This record gives sequence, structure tokens and C-alpha cells, in this order.
Amino acid sequence: MGLPILWLAFAAMVSGSNGLAAAMLPTALRETTMLMLSVGFMTGVLGLVAAWLVTHFEFAGRRLFDWALILPLAVPTYLAAYTYVEFLGFTGPPQQLVRLLFGGETLRDYWFPDIRSDWGASLVFSMVLYPYVYASCRAFFLMQSASLDLAARTLGASRARTFFSVTLPISRPAIVVGVTLAMMEVVNDLGAVQYFGVNSLTAIIYSTWINRADFGGAAQLAVTIVLVIALLILLERAARRDRVYQSHRDSRVPPGRERLRGGWAAMASLYCTLLFALGFGVPFGQLAYLALRRVAPENVAMTLNALWPTLVLATAGALATVAVGLVAARQSRGPAVSRGAIKLATLGYAIPGTVLALGLLQPLGQVDLWTNRATTALFDWRPGLIVSGSMLALVYVYAIRFLAVSHSTLDEAMRKRGDNMLLAGRVLGARGLGLLLRIDLPTLTPALLSAATLVFVEIVKELPATLLLRPLGVDTLATVVYSHANVSLFVNAALPALFIVLAGLVPVILATRFGSARKL
Amino acid sequence: MKMTLARLTSALVLTCATLPAFAQSGEVNIYSYREQSLLQPLIDRFAEETGIKANVLYAGDGLLERVAAEGELSPADVVLTVDIGNLVAAEEQGQTQPITTPALAERVPEAFRDDDGNWTALSLRARVFYVSKDRVDATALSYDDIAEPEWKGRLCTRPGDHAYNIGLIAQRIALNGLDHTREWLTKVRDNLAMAPTGSDRAQVKNILESTCDLAIVNTYYMGAMLTNEAEPEQKDWANAARIVYPDFEGEGTQVNVAGGFIAKHAPNAANANTLIEFLLSDEAQQIYADTNFEFPVVPEVEPAELTQSWGELKASSVPLTQVASYRDEAAALVDELRFNEGPQD
Repeated sequence: MGLPILWLAFAAMVSGSNGLAAAMLPTALRETTMLMLSVGFMTGVLGLVAAWLVTHFEFAGRRLFDWALILPLAVPTYLAAYTYVEFLGFTGPPQQLVRLLFGGETLRDYWFPDIRSDWGASLVFSMVLYPYVYASCRAFFLMQSASLDLAARTLGASRARTFFSVTLPISRPAIVVGVTLAMMEVVNDLGAVQYFGVNSLTAIIYSTWINRADFGGAAQLAVTIVLVIALLILLERAARRDRVYQSHRDSRVPPGRERLRGGWAAMASLYCTLLFALGFGVPFGQLAYLALRRVAPENVAMTLNALWPTLVLATAGALATVAVGLVAARQSRGPAVSRGAIKLATLGYAIPGTVLALGLLQPLGQVDLWTNRATTALFDWRPGLIVSGSMLALVYVYAIRFLAVSHSTLDEAMRKRGDNMLLAGRVLGARGLGLLLRIDLPTLTPALLSAATLVFVEIVKELPATLLLRPLGVDTLATVVYSHANVSLFVNAALPALFIVLAGLVPVILATRFGSARKL
Repeated sequence: MKMTLARLTSALVLTCATLPAFAQSGEVNIYSYREQSLLQPLIDRFAEETGIKANVLYAGDGLLERVAAEGELSPADVVLTVDIGNLVAAEEQGQTQPITTPALAERVPEAFRDDDGNWTALSLRARVFYVSKDRVDATALSYDDIAEPEWKGRLCTRPGDHAYNIGLIAQRIALNGLDHTREWLTKVRDNLAMAPTGSDRAQVKNILESTCDLAIVNTYYMGAMLTNEAEPEQKDWANAARIVYPDFEGEGTQVNVAGGFIAKHAPNAANANTLIEFLLSDEAQQIYADTNFEFPVVPEVEPAELTQSWGELKASSVPLTQVASYRDEAAALVDELRFNEGPQD
């Protein structure tokens, strides 16, 4: 699992860069930091307030918003960028309305903000990433005793004062967890920052490698990004430690919801409606409109062509990732050494796909080379590019990147199940593989399925690593959308983009059906 | 446990190792950066005339990195790409082998092929100005003109480190020296209407929106947009602008190439040479001109009528290899001036 990072560190030290990367580092660090901070702040505020409203109050539409506010997670950041540029652009509905109302034919005649900017990027990222904070805060509030809030209200504190003096301080750990996840998505993103013209670290790594053929420089930047991520993870771990300290299980009072009336109720409904409309309504509506407005046969053919490789990759990736996750979850009960190793391995979730691809292309090429030399010498048979030229490379990357998703789901399920059945199985003489097949698989089926679904959807949405490591000539839904958007032909790729969002809706619907949105 | 892992792994190897199946004779394998709509009619005709079947892998960014990583195992025979920088880089990295067909020297002017035949141009494109039909009257402009104060807040272009802009900046360095070009690029940067972002077509849309009045864009996009039936809105974008060939009255317009090379480890080198010979034929060159609105590299073949309607191309005399040799300096300049962050005064 550590191979790509070690290789990059090695390459960063030995291979000479032509020094171009160093010149861009200050800009990249500054723009990445600004983007992370602004998105972190906005997702924090938006998500917390939404979770607070939905769990503490009763108002029109609350039961709907309860799960609908998670839907923006189905929209990958790059799709949010493409649709928002289209929506708020010159030919989009808001500008058409402005022209209709105030006259004027071009942007010279009226003022309209340009979304293709740093602040536009922050805004669009926040609109689709706030559910990370929403989900973690919502779960936290539902578990949290309401006694503190009640005490504050009994003592005469207003709603606002209770929010700022009680709710905000105690939910800090949940906010930090959600904000960290949102920030990791920002660091990982490639498609959106390129579209908005933001010189983020990931964008600079990509252009240093691809536009300037400077692998050493890209490797050096990649090592920087890994340091930034490590810092984020330390922050998040520190916040989780606090969390244990702060929950008071013994004084649990079921969280009752206060009914809002009049203006307050209207404002709560309006807030949630706006959040849902901006995070999901606009991107999804825009995609559906563009995709269905003109259904050209070549667009359908393109979508179908990309659908099969996408399904194959996502299925293979999900199976591999869940298999590794299962082994890891079993070992989580093992000695400290293997627990530590698993903790390290699950960090792959935090490493941007661009960095993983950068670190894997050359080592995998070498593996192929030596495999072929060996088989030629032994059997006079040249199998060709069995790893780097096939989907195996991608399956490997997906397993690294999404192990955390499958591992945490299975680990939780195993914890809930307890060890009784395993022990009974052992007593009855089952060992190793038999134990796995006859006890683990049947008892963990729901968890295995939900882990596989989550990973499947993450792979369908994944862009940067797929873009760089896919077998040449193979296109997935995500890469088709990316390549069209990059030459200003995004409209033609709206249909495959719509498929990506629809796939993303699956786990959300499953999660709400099983009554727990926490795993998202 | 270990057995399961081994089984799973072998199952995955079997299901996933779906290699592109390339035969060794009567076929040729193409790795292409160029789009299918251009290439398909070419390889169809090639198959009809020679009986050689062309397998094409369409790939985007990172094509050369992939060929390099595949090394001696690469099935690629011919690599088709754009930009002189990529062609020269492939040669420098030792990814090429000399093209041996005599058609190369007979058909392609010396300026547009490698002396040793390591690469050849197959078509030409010029980096020109698209100006607003409504807001710009000038019919003759030079690259130096857009550095003047009158263009303040009126220019658009894609990011400075894109190969097309690197090509233009490198040509300026080759022509005027580094210091002069630094001064020029600084002024151009400060004349930009916004931080550079988006593709070449997006810049033309900016003209329609009045975000800017002059965009630096490649010639053939005008044709591609005017004939775009899949997204007819793009015809409106293109109709808002007209093309001005910069430096027509002086040094000449900067020309870049799309081209190809034969891969060093090509399994079908003979067929690869036949393919290059075909791509340089009158018939193939006419397809380049008519479907993609590029300029044929073979001087005897005429550009499409639409292309000719934009005016006459007078190409800069700075040799392409010299342009390519300045691309690192050009990229460094883009970084040094923080061009991609937009105007800074």
C-alpha cells in the first residue's frame, strides 16, 4: 500500500527536476490553503446549522430535508463545477433573466459575477461538500444527550445563546471530522480546479508532469501534498480524541424537537430548501436538462461505450477492496503491529488520485518488464503489459484509495456482531477458510453488500487516477465527461454525467432505507 | 485465508487482464491524441488501399508518459500527437525511430520534419487572434500590439502553461530574446480581462459574452465551431468573432503542428512507414484539411474553402525546432510572472 508514496519520495530525492516546480510551489500552497480554509469554514457553518435545525426543531419539510440534505454527495466536485459554470454563465437561466428584466445584450451592459474564479471554486465546492459536516453533526446530535440544551433553555437562555454557548462547543469534534473530509476532497479534486483556473497543488502536480514532462518536480510537489494531508489527519485524530471525553451517556435524555412557528419556521424551511437546491437541485437539474434536451445517437453510443468499462472496473475494484477490507477488519482484532499497519493502509483515502497515479505508473511498468523478462527466459512467452496496460493497475489504486471505506464499514459490523459465533464455530472445529466461509460471510452479508456499494460508487465518481492509469483506449463515464468538458464540449457529455450522479444516489437511497445515513 | 487471497487475486488477474489484442502482421497500432472524428475516415481509407488494419487507442493527456512507462513492451507503432514540443520531447527521450519512407523528404518541407526523420508534421495550425466583430475595427495586428495599453482588460487566453501558449511564448523568445519576451508577456498578462482558464473555444465564448474583445486561439476552432451540429450554440460563439492573422505584415504568424512518430519498439515498423506515407498522400492531406480545418503540411494540397475565407496564412520563419528548444524557458517565464493568476497591477 505504501509503494506509490515511497517511490515518489525516492524520485523526489534522486531525479533531477528542472526547477520549474519550485517556482510554482508558493502559489500552489497559497491557493490550496485558501481554498481549504474557505471551503472548511463554509461547509462547517452550512452543515452544522442544517444538522442543528433538522435534529433540534420541527418545521415544514423537516422529515424530507433530514435525508435530502445528504444528496449533494452524489455529485462529484468536477460535475458541480461544470454544471455551475454552465448554469451561471452567459447562456444560463440567471443571466437570461437579468437580460430579460433589465435589457442589455452583452456583459458590457450589466454586471454579473464570474463563477470561474477562486471564490467561485470555494462556493461550488462548499455546496456539494457540506453534507460531510451535516452527516457527522447530525449523527452526533442524535447520539448526544439533550440534557445540556434543556438545562440551558430552562435557565432562560435564548435559542441563539444556547446554540453558541452549548451546541457549538460540544459539537466541535463532529464538525472537525466533517470539515476534514471535505478538505480532503478539495485536495483530491482535479477536474473542478482546472475548470475554475485555480492553481491548487493537485492541478500544479498534473501540469508539471503532463505539460512539462517534469516527473522529478511533480514528485517533489506530491511529497508536499502528502505532508499537508498528514497535518490534516493529525488534526482530525486530535479532534476524535476529544469526542470520547465529551459524550455523557449516563445522563441521556432523548432529543425532543421543539416546534418552530411563524417566521422562524419559514426561515428554517427556506434555509434547508436553498441548501438542497444549490447543492443538488442546480447540478442535477442542469444535467438532466442538458442530457435530455437533445438526445443525439452519438451521445448515447458514447455513454454506452463508457458504461461497460465503468461497470467492470467498479465491480472488480469493489470486490478487491471489500476482500482486502475483510481481511483487514479481521486483523484489527490481532496484535498491535497489524493494527498499526491497517491504520496506515487506510490512510490511502486521504491521498489524491493524481499522486497515487504518479507514484505507480513507473513501478508498475517495471513490474511488467521484469515479469516479461522472466517468462521469456523460462517459457519463451511474452505476456505483454499485464499490469500497467490492463485494468489491474486501476483495481490496485482503487483498493489503496477506498480501503478505508470498506474497512470501517466491516469493522463496525464485526464489532456489533461480537465474537460469540466465531468462538462457537471454533469450538465446533471450523478453522481458517471454513470459518470465513461459514461464519463471516453469512453473518456479514449486509455489511459486505453495503461496503461494496459504497466503494462501487466511489469508483464510478473517481476521476484523477482513472484518467492517468486507465488502459489506453478505455474510457469510463468520468473520463468521457472530463475530456469533453476540457474542450468546451461538456454539453455533449451531459448524459454520461447524469449516469454518474444517478449511480451516486444509490447508496444514499440504500442508507435512508436502512435508516442510518451515518456511514456516508 | 491465504488461499482465498490467492484465488481472488488469480480470478482478478484473469478477469481484468483484458489486453488490447494486437496482431503482428497486416496490422498497425496507433496511439492517438487526436480525436476519432478526424482519424476514422483516414484509417478507413488506409485499410481500403493497403489492406492493413489500423487499431487505434485514443488517449488524452499523459500519452507520452504512458509510452515511456511501457518501454520495450509497448505495442504502439505510430504515435499521433499535437504540438512541436511533444514531438521533440519524444525524440529527446529516445521514444522514436527514424521514418524511412521516401515520401517524408519528398512531401514535407524541411521546416516541418526532423532532419533524421524521427518525427514529421502531418498538418499545421496557426496561433491567431479572434477579435470581436462589433468592438474591434483593426484588420491588421501584431503580437506586440496586444501588449499596448489600449488592450487593457480586453484580452482572453487559456492557461499560459498549455502547450499551445508555451509554443507561442517560446517562438517570441526565439525571435526577440528572453528579456524582451518577459516584458511583452508581463504587459499581455496585465491586459487580460480575467485569470486565464478554460479551453480555446471557451475564449471565443468570452468574446460573445463581452468578457473580452480579443482572444488568442488556434485557427481550426473557427471551423469546428461553425460546423458544430451537436451543439449549435457554438455557431453563435464563432459568429461573434473574426480571425486576424497576427504579424501578417511583418515576421509572420506563429505556426504549430500536429504530427506523429514511429515508436522505438514498434512491432510493425514496416506497416508504420506505410501508414505515414499514406497520411502524407494528397487524399489524406485533403481529409485533414476538410474535416479539421487545419492547413495541410504538403504544400501542393489546398486548405478547405472555409479555412481560406479567413485570409492567407504567412508563417513565421522561426524554425520549429528552435521554438521547441525554448519551451522550458517559456514555461519558466509563465511561472515567474504568475501568468495564470491573471492581471497584477
